[in-house]
Amino acid sequence: MSPILVYLATLVVYFFIYNIFGFGLNIQFGYAGILDFAFITFMAVGGYLYGAAALPHETPGSQIYYVLGLSWSFPLALLLGILGAGAVGALVGLIALKRLRSDYLAIVTLASGTLIYGVIGNFTRLFDGWEGLMGVPQPFTGALNLNANTFVLFFVLVSGVIMAILWFFANRLYRSPLGRAMRAVREDIDVAEAYGKNAFKLRMTAMVIGCIYAGIGGALTIAFITALAPAGWSTGETFVIWALLLIGGRGNNLGAVVGSFLVAVLFTEATRYLPAIGGNPNLIPDLRNIVIGVLLIVTLRFRPQGLVPEPKTNFFAVPLTSRVLRRVRHEEVVGA
Amino acid sequence: MPEATPVDRGTPILQLDQVVRSFGGVRAVDGCSFSIDRGSLTALIGPNGAGKSTVVNLVAGALKPDAGSIVYGGVDITGVVSHRIAGRGLIRTFQLSREFARMTVLENLVVVARGQSGESLFNALLRPRLCRREDRVLVERAIDVLDRFGLAAQRDMYAGDLSGGQKRLVELARAVMSEPELLILDEPMAGVNPALIDLLGGHIESLCRNGITVVMVEHNLEIVERICDHVVVMALGRTLATGVMSDLRSNSEVVRAYLGERLDEPTVR
Amino acid sequence: MSILWLSLGFGLVTASILALSSVGLSLQFGVTNYINFAYGAFLSLGMLLTWTLTRPLHLPFWLGAALTIPICGLVAVVVDRVVLEPFVRRGGNLLYLLIVTFGLSLILDNIMQAAWGVGFFRFAVGQGADLHLGPFQFTVAQLVIIGVAAAVMVGVHLLLTRTRLGKAMRAMSDNPALARVSGIDTKRVTMSTWFLSGCLAGAAGIALALNIVSFQTTSGDDLLFVVFAAVILGGIGQTYGAMLGALVIGVVTEVSAVYVGSAYKSDVAFLILVVVLLVRPQGLIPALGKA
Ligand SMILES: Nc1ncnc2c1ncn2[C@@H]1O[C@H](COP(=O)(O)OP(=O)(O)O)[C@@H](O)[C@H]1O
Ligand SMILES: [Mg+2]
Repeated sequence: MSPILVYLATLVVYFFIYNIFGFGLNIQFGYAGILDFAFITFMAVGGYLYGAAALPHETPGSQIYYVLGLSWSFPLALLLGILGAGAVGALVGLIALKRLRSDYLAIVTLASGTLIYGVIGNFTRLFDGWEGLMGVPQPFTGALNLNANTFVLFFVLVSGVIMAILWFFANRLYRSPLGRAMRAVREDIDVAEAYGKNAFKLRMTAMVIGCIYAGIGGALTIAFITALAPAGWSTGETFVIWALLLIGGRGNNLGAVVGSFLVAVLFTEATRYLPAIGGNPNLIPDLRNIVIGVLLIVTLRFRPQGLVPEPKTNFFAVPLTSRVLRRVRHEEVVGA
Repeated sequence: MPEATPVDRGTPILQLDQVVRSFGGVRAVDGCSFSIDRGSLTALIGPNGAGKSTVVNLVAGALKPDAGSIVYGGVDITGVVSHRIAGRGLIRTFQLSREFARMTVLENLVVVARGQSGESLFNALLRPRLCRREDRVLVERAIDVLDRFGLAAQRDMYAGDLSGGQKRLVELARAVMSEPELLILDEPMAGVNPALIDLLGGHIESLCRNGITVVMVEHNLEIVERICDHVVVMALGRTLATGVMSDLRSNSEVVRAYLGERLDEPTVR
Repeated sequence: MSILWLSLGFGLVTASILALSSVGLSLQFGVTNYINFAYGAFLSLGMLLTWTLTRPLHLPFWLGAALTIPICGLVAVVVDRVVLEPFVRRGGNLLYLLIVTFGLSLILDNIMQAAWGVGFFRFAVGQGADLHLGPFQFTVAQLVIIGVAAAVMVGVHLLLTRTRLGKAMRAMSDNPALARVSGIDTKRVTMSTWFLSGCLAGAAGIALALNIVSFQTTSGDDLLFVVFAAVILGGIGQTYGAMLGALVIGVVTEVSAVYVGSAYKSDVAFLILVVVLLVRPQGLIPALGKA
């Protein structure tokens, strides 16, 4: 099989996974206005739990330590990743969402992220510390008799189907009365409370759902690339997801898709193979982060709604009874 | 317009007893007591800084009192969180218009309807038809309310793009949409032109006629005298007097504290 | 027992570093009413600039430090004018300003990493000899840190109470709308505040670098949460509260390090932060007039 095709297929998998991250952060920030600066942490929780559950039991004397080691199948390990990411999200939410000030919320998420980063890095017994998990078995290869190349193609399908389902439910949530109430909390938390909306519960729901999306994305990531280490989920990675959502258009899942294509796939890949400047291998990634940061700030400054703005809700997609419809038509005719 | 419901007029719906709340050293509300009759339209008046907004916040659960008790509909709601109080039918508005800016006017109304089953995660994700069915009813009702408030043309505008006066109308329309039992309006007519004041006054009167108990914080005594049947006067965090407007005009304490001053001029404490 | 005294001494040093940084963050918050997530980058900038001035450029340490501090202040003013003020002027949602400062922290971190590289740095001056003061034991560098921090705290106190600028800053912090209508030049006060905040961050960075001896471009960010913990414990935007918070957090983290190990110092700070947010979010000294 042509290496170009495999390379492109790999990009498509990344694209799909970043879409999932974009949806998750959109549910938290775009729907409910939660400033989650630790989003990538929940990706890591999902990824590590998936990996540790999918790996076989640790070999004594191998100097590689990790918990679980259950050789679980893809769906079971994925479920564990979902539960773990959701639970950690709920725990962080319990602290962060009690208090109404958005800057406190941001501090707590950022601090929790840093704390969890340190714990996972320092407690070698959990997920092999700073080395991270490696050699996580690629799912379905045995059962479907896949080789390295066909696995990539197959994974396009797996991640694509999961991404499509998550997109569908994210959109359904947005349009539902629940999503509407979340947006009311986003717009003005006091007023929403004054009309009987339980802001804590609504934001908690958005928080946990977003974290579950992050966890699913993390599980897919480690299942695909078979490894995950702290260096792969630093605060800078959270920022890439923020950038893709805000540049694409917060409040709009299509915006998240556009953003993840432009920021996470096109821009990152376009700069991946630039030769190292002045013999400094870190210069290109540094410059990339700087450019993404500047792009984000420029977007917020000059096009705060993003490339694909949040659409207005059109209730007339909801079929109305004939009486209302008649009046709506009448108004259109007379131009009232 | 829903049918006027017969209400048990005359019995108290809200009772404040010696409510106290201070901020740092400032006793914003300092032993405030009054009672609101079911079905009445009461004005809460008093100079700037008298503690009126703080009382509204305390009653609605946005702030917790330091002492005293608040009884609503026979139930002690002292210290209960605001969304629970709202769930019992006590709805308040804010002194400055606070619309859901990036939601349409229609959505601003639909979202506040109470008891939507689509607000549960299960129904939202798995029972879209139920949600749509409920939404249809709510949208119809919201359109009716908007028509009544002359906002039909603004239905699909972002609420944040409206003029100041229109925002005031949306605020009131939204409150109506939530079907309150007791509606507390914090200066619903602040900063609007005289024509709109009359319009808003008319709307508020008709709400009351339809069985909603209304308390409104208001500075404009002319409109208060015209539409309100009761008045509670506050000064320095206390209730100074209660009664009907004509009685209060002859109460020298009230006149000194409040009525004697130019009404459109904020009192400097 | 002696280990306790020793860690109490370390606590005073850490508290001094925290006091410098917390007061800088808190002053800026008080005047502008939003948190600067890029503050850690200013601490790092202080360390790295001093390193460049004193190592490759061979300036004496005191001169390098003296030059670094106002440069950090100027960078803070430029960042505010160019990046943040447009968002402030547009008004609207505070959320976006927080995201912008968060983005700014990554931009500044990456600029510093690109310019200085990922390695470890140390100043030419060491810690100096160990000195015994009663039950305490400090290095010369640590004593200098404590002395400078104490002097700066007195200076900040005099600035806030005795100067027109300080009074204007307090007025803006108490009631921005009232300050504006009462003829305070809010633009000038805001710029001065950012300058001060940057200077304090730069000084705190130098002090931190002296204390931890070997540092990286990310060392400033590593302290950021501890600074947040001190600021929130003291009551956000309250300058004296920040000093108090710094003292408490500094001593508690260092003394607890005796029992839980020094790797978990920032976790202890996080724990305090969480408890404060859950139990007393207004901090030890609540901001009056701010809901
Ligand atoms: N959140 C707050 N923090 C500190 N002081 C407050 C707060 N809210 C109100 N106050 C003070 O309480 C007093 C009463 O205010 P308020 O209830 O708004 O009066 P009114 O609505 O009658 O004009 C005023 O002196 C005001 O400064
Ligand atoms: Mg008021």
